[in-house]
Amino acid sequence: MTWVALTLLAFALGVLAQARARHPLANPTLVATVLLVAALLLSRTPYGRYAAEVRPISFLLGPAVVALAVPLYRLRALLAREWRALVVGGVTGTLVGVGVDTLLPRLLGLSAEVQRSLVTAPVTSPVALQLAGVTGAPPALAATLAVLSGLLGALFLPSVLTRLGVRHPLARGVAVGSVSHGIGTARAREEGEETGAASSIGMGLAALVVTLAVALLK
Amino acid sequence: MNGPAPASVTGRLPAPVRFVLGLGILTGFAALGTALVTVLRLPFPGSVVGMGLLWAALSLGVVRLHWIEGAADGLLATLGLLFVPATVGVIEYLSAGAAWALWLLVMLAGLLLGAGVAGLLAARLVRE
Repeated sequence: MTWVALTLLAFALGVLAQARARHPLANPTLVATVLLVAALLLSRTPYGRYAAEVRPISFLLGPAVVALAVPLYRLRALLAREWRALVVGGVTGTLVGVGVDTLLPRLLGLSAEVQRSLVTAPVTSPVALQLAGVTGAPPALAATLAVLSGLLGALFLPSVLTRLGVRHPLARGVAVGSVSHGIGTARAREEGEETGAASSIGMGLAALVVTLAVALLK
Repeated sequence: MNGPAPASVTGRLPAPVRFVLGLGILTGFAALGTALVTVLRLPFPGSVVGMGLLWAALSLGVVRLHWIEGAADGLLATLGLLFVPATVGVIEYLSAGAAWALWLLVMLAGLLLGAGVAGLLAARLVRE
């Protein structure tokens, strides 16, 4: 039970850090992960024991992934009006992202474990975690790479899109959401409501697209 | 049809009770998705199938938004907590050391190409 408490408190600390620092790197998941890894190393607790103890937290992932349908449903009017930009743009972006994350590791000759984990990097971590069962990736590596991919997206994509001349809020939002999921969406929301909404749609569609892509590639 | 319906029985439930109702429905859809995937031997995670089923149920009016809204928003607002147990598993990959830089570069390439294509394409297709 101690590790459940420490996990909740570490995450709360991460949320406080985010509220103070207002920087993508002050991400609650990242802060909590760093703190807990340090605590496990210092107390010489094996990861297996930790994971078994905090299973009640992981259980909620299933219903949380199901809950992704709610923002998609709420934004159905926007989705119906701008489906060409949002669906065609978002799905293409996600597929290109997955394609690069699949082919580049092969060309570089990375290990099979890493190859399988990188495939799901553009998708939200809980889905990457659940997809690990299908791809045969080590769940921890797939989930962590997805978090890091989201962080990189939040850090770099807004300025890259500006440099490419992508100015429309819907286009910027769906581009960020289609490859850098929840963490990117939080960053997109800072640009405005329309950008955030488009990013949520991009993220929801990416969950479906990557799931289908993984099933077909298998 | 959807949205808050204060006149209905479920609309008058206290927020914590509605949260329990919502969590029950969301977990039910996750279980339904998992059962379908097992029976039909689909190569999908059950929860993603549950997400698709919930979307359909909302669109058809079988499930009302205000039944699940509170629970869904609560779970999504703390989504980052739920996969901390998984990301802590990175402890077993610390020995990979410098290889991490290469993995990050691969992801950066995927992000820039994916978002670049999506942004340029979407900007052309926006109607308004």
